[in-house]
Amino acid sequence: MGGLDLKAYAGLFKTYTELRVQENRTIQISFVKGNNTVNLRSATSGVSARAYQNGSWGFASSPELTPDAIASVVKEATENALFLDSRERKGKAPLPVAAVSSDNDFSTKKPRLGQKELVDFVRQIDDEIARRYPGLASRSVILRCLDMEKTLLTSDGSYSHSMIPRSQIHVMLSVEKDGAPVELMESYGGLGQFEDVFESPSSLWEGIERQYQHLMKKSEGVFAEAGVKTCVLDAELAGILAHEAIGHTCEADLVMGGSVAGDWIGKQVASPLVTLVDFANTALGQTCPVPVYVDDEGTRAEDAVIIEKGVLKSFLHNKESARHFGVQPKGNARAFLFSDEPIIRMRNTGILPGTSKLEDMIASVDDGYYLIKPSNGQADLTSEFMFGVTLGYEIRGGKLGRAIKDTTISGVAFDMLKTVSMISNDMKWLGHGMCGKKQNIPVGMGGPAIKCQVTIGGR
Amino acid sequence: MTDPRRSSEYGLNALLKAGADKAQCQVTRIEKHELNVISGEMSLLRTTFDTQVKLIAIKDGKKGSTTINKSDPDSVSRGAAEALAIAEASVPDEANDIAEGQPAARFVSGSESPDRDSMHYRMKELLETARERYPTLLMLQAFLDFTREDTYVVNSNGVDFSAVKGVYRCTAVFSAKEEGKVSSFNGTSVAIRDLDTPLIDCGSLRRLMRETTEQIHTCHVSGKFTGDVIIAPDCLGDMLAFLDDSIRDRALISGTSVYRDSLDQLVASPVLSLHSRPVSGEICNGYFITSDGYSAQNSTIVDRGLLKTFLLSLYGSKKTGKARAVNDGGAYVVDPGETTLDEIVKSVDRGLLLVRFSGGNPNENGDFSGVAKNSYFIENGQVKYPISETMISGNLAECYRNIRSVSRERVNYGYAVFPWVAVSGVTILGK
Repeated sequence: MGGLDLKAYAGLFKTYTELRVQENRTIQISFVKGNNTVNLRSATSGVSARAYQNGSWGFASSPELTPDAIASVVKEATENALFLDSRERKGKAPLPVAAVSSDNDFSTKKPRLGQKELVDFVRQIDDEIARRYPGLASRSVILRCLDMEKTLLTSDGSYSHSMIPRSQIHVMLSVEKDGAPVELMESYGGLGQFEDVFESPSSLWEGIERQYQHLMKKSEGVFAEAGVKTCVLDAELAGILAHEAIGHTCEADLVMGGSVAGDWIGKQVASPLVTLVDFANTALGQTCPVPVYVDDEGTRAEDAVIIEKGVLKSFLHNKESARHFGVQPKGNARAFLFSDEPIIRMRNTGILPGTSKLEDMIASVDDGYYLIKPSNGQADLTSEFMFGVTLGYEIRGGKLGRAIKDTTISGVAFDMLKTVSMISNDMKWLGHGMCGKKQNIPVGMGGPAIKCQVTIGGR
Repeated sequence: MTDPRRSSEYGLNALLKAGADKAQCQVTRIEKHELNVISGEMSLLRTTFDTQVKLIAIKDGKKGSTTINKSDPDSVSRGAAEALAIAEASVPDEANDIAEGQPAARFVSGSESPDRDSMHYRMKELLETARERYPTLLMLQAFLDFTREDTYVVNSNGVDFSAVKGVYRCTAVFSAKEEGKVSSFNGTSVAIRDLDTPLIDCGSLRRLMRETTEQIHTCHVSGKFTGDVIIAPDCLGDMLAFLDDSIRDRALISGTSVYRDSLDQLVASPVLSLHSRPVSGEICNGYFITSDGYSAQNSTIVDRGLLKTFLLSLYGSKKTGKARAVNDGGAYVVDPGETTLDEIVKSVDRGLLLVRFSGGNPNENGDFSGVAKNSYFIENGQVKYPISETMISGNLAECYRNIRSVSRERVNYGYAVFPWVAVSGVTILGK
């Protein structure tokens, strides 16, 4: 990507236009039960342009990064916008102007490791798991690294460059209980290139030991008792709740699509204990898992406060929806690949910490569950949500009891948030989130633990 | 752009020149034209070109692969060298291999280029029909794209395949709103060969749009009970995903699959027959070449309840000592049953018509639970009302065995053909 000066192409813009050059680089190394099943690298790069004409957009992209290819995508994007405008004739006003400059590069300063060193690193983890836990029925260790490097020029004067990496090791452990498999996955790592995230295989032992102990308890686990229960949702579940059940319902495109949140700005939608923010890049003094400084429309990224002390404050916007609602965009327009157009996305979404201690929250529950790890999650325009839960424990008389089998929790988020009665005083981020709204894209989700009423599935 | 056939041959030669004992190169050129609707308005026309070059090298039993999206000789040479370097870094495994030689073949399906005017006309028609017939409906997002893929696969065993596929795909996501009340959103996708038919008449679009407008006002199901669930074609794929996952490489190599010893055993009710038909006429968005470089063939996965094949890759086959699948799975077709949907509904005492399932991933054992979305309560043989906040749970392996009827009617989505399937013994939890 080096050496391309996008500013040289500004003269080609005939209307509002974004020109973006992007490369996504990935590494994947997988060991399944000692077998090196995947060992690959990929790089996907190219140039795209998006042009705007009276409310109609045109987009074009090419994998080639030659001057001719760049000129060609600008021309084709413009022609696409004109084609659509000629048919639709919306006559909409110009977009809000943004002119910012930014360069944020999270590349490691350390010497880069080669593929053999990475394979050896993953294999050492796999070997150690096999040595320490011979009773496992199966194990998988998967390294995934993603570098996203973007350079953006817009016709209204924004110019930005960013290189945002993430590196993760996923460990899946499985035991057999009464002839049936019981498994538990844990993810390690987050923002940064491999060399900055993982020091040595031994840095994972403590986490993997904790994971194994949870798995052993889960293998003796019981079905949760189905029904509405008082639950303490740990940080990862609170994070996925913030993202799926609240964040999505407050994305302006979904608001225009009928989301229940559309009618509730300024209204009490949650307990006064709840403040929920879509952070741009920094939360409570720490860099977020997916820092965004300038979005893919060239808007400076700022925090968006969605709920403040229980009151719904704002939606998430791109330039077009911000103009529609008469507010300022805060940098939520993001694209995953060079060939993707920016759409309204969350960045790092979480509930702010409260004042309670986790142990006090558990002690306050007479009959309920402490739910720790989510699998996947989905939500709805109605704010009805569902999350898979892969690790949790009974709470009986204020004490943790037996582990539970995999289950699902559900509810109506804006009802459920009104039942929040305690929030822990810490904050953890889930650094491996991917959101699948048209395009998959990395997101951060996080929060403290929350105590609330929720429907839990079971038998 | 470089000619993709020449790029594939160049890539294969570069891999062998770099020292590979065995090598394979696949080059796919992708051209996509996509019309987007956001919030009921035609918003974006998108034209994208891309190239995928997948280079696989095996040296001394060690395998490496790289994927790049540049097809010029310098980029391909660098990619080939990197694939060799990755192979060198890898662990030797006798199961690493590439497809053996097969007769050269060229496969063609669908149109060569899009009809942009017809794309615009059909999308406009869909929006106008929806507004007219279903005034409370909100079209959240809709995409109509034409994608053409030119694929070339060559390897050092003499494989020489090419495939050209052009297909239209329409996806629509919608909700309905009236007097401040909103339905759950629903959505569907369909693949079609041409634009001869109005989009609303493709797949299950018309039915789902109508149902969504009915789902603004929902009722709760009361209590917890065990009942029948009629799984609509729209979420049958989700329900079959557990079987699909459990008969692939990861589950069988790791030994965690509940079906690891179930070949030729009953894994489902005898009323269920499931096929994978990537090269059949009824599937317009299938595929001709497997990811291993074999010519894809149709297969029967489940024949009247009996598991007939695993979906093992070449690597998975060698690793487990079981037969390689003749395709990559997908393109699923479920045989129609003997009864009509009406008759099936009439046979249900108390249960649900499940149209969308929002659930956690089932565990390796098949236990699942989740929310019945866009679904209906059935009582005394009648569909009573749309529901909300209703969970279902059970075990998918048991559900397959508890299928009691399959409908005569089916929906063709272009990538799958599914009927309605009735399952007994599902736990239903209302309020």
